[in-house]
Amino acid sequence: MDRSNNQNLRLTLNGRVVETDVLSSRTLAEFLREEQGLTGTHLGCEHGICGACTVLVDGRPARACLMLAVQADGATVETVESLGTGSELGPIQQAMWDSHAFQCAFCAPGFLMTTKALLASNPSPTRAEIREELAGNLCRCTGYGSIIAGIEAAIASAKEASRA
Amino acid sequence: MREVIAGRFVGSSVRRVEDRRLLSGKGRYVDDLIFPEMLHAAFVRSPHPHATIRSVDVTAARALPGVVGVLTGTDMIEISNPYVGMTTLAGLYEPAFYSLATDRVRYVGDPIAVVIARSRRLAEDGVEAVVVEYELLDAIATVGQALDGSRPAIWPKAKGNVVYRTSRNYGPVDEAFADADRVVSQRFRQHRQSNQPMETRGIVVEVSAGGATTVHSTTQSAHLLKWVLSLLSDRQSIPTSLKMLASNRERPKRFASAAKAFMANKPDLVAANKASTPVMLKQLRADPKRGVAMQRSLLALLAKEPGTRPEVRTGDIGGAFGTKSVVSREEVAVYIAARKLGRTVKWIEDRNEHLLGGGHARDEYMDMQFAFSHNGILLGIRADFTLDAGAYPAMPFSPAMMAEIIRTLLPGPYRVPALGYNATVVASNKGTVVPYRGPWAIETWARERMWDTAARELGINRAEIRRRNMFRADELPRPMITGPMLDVRMSARRTLDEALRIAGYDNWAEEQQAARANGRILGLGFATFIEPAPGPPDFFSHVLPGFASIMTESTYVALDPDGSVSVFTPQIPHGQGHETTLAQVAADQLGVPMETIRVRYGDTKVTPFSILGTGGSRSAPMAGGSVTFASRDLRDRILDISADLLEAAREDLTIDAGRIHVQGVPSISIGFETVAAEALRRGSDAPNGEAIRAIKEYDGGAGGWSQATHVCWVEIDLETGMVAIPRYVVVEDCGELINPAIVDGQVRGGVAQGIGAVLYERIAYDDAAQFQSGTFMDYLIPTAMEIPDIEIHHLETPSNIEANYRGVGEGGMIAAPAALTNAIEDALNHLGVRITEQHLPPARILTLAGVLPTG
Repeated sequence: MDRSNNQNLRLTLNGRVVETDVLSSRTLAEFLREEQGLTGTHLGCEHGICGACTVLVDGRPARACLMLAVQADGATVETVESLGTGSELGPIQQAMWDSHAFQCAFCAPGFLMTTKALLASNPSPTRAEIREELAGNLCRCTGYGSIIAGIEAAIASAKEASRA
Repeated sequence: MREVIAGRFVGSSVRRVEDRRLLSGKGRYVDDLIFPEMLHAAFVRSPHPHATIRSVDVTAARALPGVVGVLTGTDMIEISNPYVGMTTLAGLYEPAFYSLATDRVRYVGDPIAVVIARSRRLAEDGVEAVVVEYELLDAIATVGQALDGSRPAIWPKAKGNVVYRTSRNYGPVDEAFADADRVVSQRFRQHRQSNQPMETRGIVVEVSAGGATTVHSTTQSAHLLKWVLSLLSDRQSIPTSLKMLASNRERPKRFASAAKAFMANKPDLVAANKASTPVMLKQLRADPKRGVAMQRSLLALLAKEPGTRPEVRTGDIGGAFGTKSVVSREEVAVYIAARKLGRTVKWIEDRNEHLLGGGHARDEYMDMQFAFSHNGILLGIRADFTLDAGAYPAMPFSPAMMAEIIRTLLPGPYRVPALGYNATVVASNKGTVVPYRGPWAIETWARERMWDTAARELGINRAEIRRRNMFRADELPRPMITGPMLDVRMSARRTLDEALRIAGYDNWAEEQQAARANGRILGLGFATFIEPAPGPPDFFSHVLPGFASIMTESTYVALDPDGSVSVFTPQIPHGQGHETTLAQVAADQLGVPMETIRVRYGDTKVTPFSILGTGGSRSAPMAGGSVTFASRDLRDRILDISADLLEAAREDLTIDAGRIHVQGVPSISIGFETVAAEALRRGSDAPNGEAIRAIKEYDGGAGGWSQATHVCWVEIDLETGMVAIPRYVVVEDCGELINPAIVDGQVRGGVAQGIGAVLYERIAYDDAAQFQSGTFMDYLIPTAMEIPDIEIHHLETPSNIEANYRGVGEGGMIAAPAALTNAIEDALNHLGVRITEQHLPPARILTLAGVLPTG
């Protein structure tokens, strides 16, 4: 196989260091889905609008469809697969489950990662702030009300946990 | 969270079974499938709306490294069958066409060739290397152009570009208009929209070493896809098929007896077939080549070994809203290419392709006239409906059917003493029109706009004019003038009264005045609809004669050796949560925890046959009912065996949390695994090693209607043209709720799509039919910033009907455009604004309000 277009890539992916060669034209989404088997990151539009492919790069939401894998060199990348532990759901996932947040859930990984970034930077956003933060992710099934309810449930349970 | 009310799962917002996997990123959507040596497909598509193809040169593409095969329309003529349409209606032209364009392209995006390569990018490189020469034709971009006889016919054998015309009169229409004190007229335009689920279409055709084919698909109807693919692939000559049939007489005999058995309990279907035979013969005479093609593909289907047909499987599906209920030409082409190459091939449509040709909707006009007596009593309606169906009819749901459903539903919950209905379906050089959530919704939009228009012209309050004409509970049951029965549970009137009470409608005029005095422009609109979800049992026979009897729903419920229960459903969940709701229903019937139930779906090898799969708001009523009665049958058989094992009278037994015991004596009990072992000992004739299998074909029972009234408030900013929605209320009655959170989710999602359609979304073509909505920056899906909180109130009309579940999938989308546009007109009424076009983005609002100049 011709490796002349390959570059070395080293990143921290869901807490584990990955070092590999990657085709320089590969998007981060393709790298995650096809080479790392992390198919939780979905491709909805491949032009940066729908947000289904949102992952966190150094803690910030990024469109994995618009970013080349090699641009993540040296970065910390988190995907939806990092949110739980083993078979247990993480707190944001649990709150979304309790709230019937999603329907087809194709968009869910993107919303979950956007939510993680939001709550990390602003642990108690107002509903208006939540709506604004979510505006970069499209959902065609739910009308968003249940996703917002899920985020508010996550906020409430985080507050309860911090009090306990 | 409280998950169970009084020992029942039905009625509780049980958390979804499917969510653990979906929230963990462990769903299995079609693009997640990877097979060894899998190839990838990409399509050469027409950049022109209308042109003859002079040549297609694939030499350079074939020579590219990594390209394994290229198929064109010419190849498809050789190896496959054309689609010839399956709807027999007088006045309908059904064209014959292949999966790839052969001699002519008919819309921007029309697939011309498919390139199969080792990777998607290599396949796309191959697409770039295909050279097509075109000779351009005048394009049909609008209904006006379609009706203009000087323009070329897209289908030369059709009469111009009109592909369907029909006319029906109910009651004394002319008298109603002659006697009318007032006639109110308006022409309404509903723009072209698109379903746009977050996951596009996709297909993986898995070809095994022995040649057996498994199709992994995003389809809403696995069995339909299986049979359409079988019918359209592997062209075989008529003599060959006849020879095969002659050498194996058992097969045609078996087929004939199966067909006879199928028709035996469907007398209305037999009658309808008889009635439509002359129409079919006339259609065949008009286009003999099409008739030959039809016979060739049907004979081949009959002659070939069943093993040559594919099995279709679905995994998780990222939404559909109707667009995946039809089979696309691309799916057919990929299937044929994979079989030809003997290789596994994946095709995942990209968003641009999905916007271009993945399914458009609506693009309709409705001219309406309401005849009134002086006191606002409706005497009759004249409705003239026109649908621009695009170039290729959807497979297999002909757009003509849409016109017939709209005819049937047009009266809604109102007394309509006379109805004159004309419909015209035209072909244009645009993408295929497919069912989109509430495909018939223009009947509600135009009618509810008409009530507001009539109220204003007659000087009667909007609520009052509706109340004068809407059926009261004490008038039911009563048939609509178009035929279907409105039963005593048809509670549209109650939803209207309750919604207006919740809205404080009586004070609205004052509120609006006060706000206006403060410089704020507020509006309130409302709309009421009924939806056949599933409708009365004969509903579909009022749409198309005999159709109701093929719309039944079958379920198998099986007791497995380990005591668990499998529910086999033809439903294809794609967001509706059937793994949860159908388990709720079965668990209640069987008296077991939900964990005991496994819902099996999306595999033509094991699930019952259904044409429709999931669609038309039919899951709760049809599958809910079918699962109820199949589970009850299984319960009876479990109790029969238990009575022997427990040496007790059957009627003294009860099932509680999966244990069977004599009532009041829970200490002596047996489990389902014990019953299963006994059933197997006695000898089971169920397949797959099951202990007992119960089968139920359900016709919808008493059926019934789903209904709601929506109230929408708007505030309009005439600086920006932005329409804000400060409050939105839904009052609905869909009978008993299986899972209230899932019902609410369906309602909210539908409303969001309705709001999107009015304020943001439009599939745009220019006057030459060039496509202009190729990205999500052109086709605007509303975000969390645009969709308001939606307040939902449930009513349930008391009834002792069992499985009194009715559907809610379509409803939000049916009513929302009407409530919202009525609100906008109310807000701008003081400026003399009249809303007749549904798409109202900011620039349009400003133009209507006179802030921007017209044009």
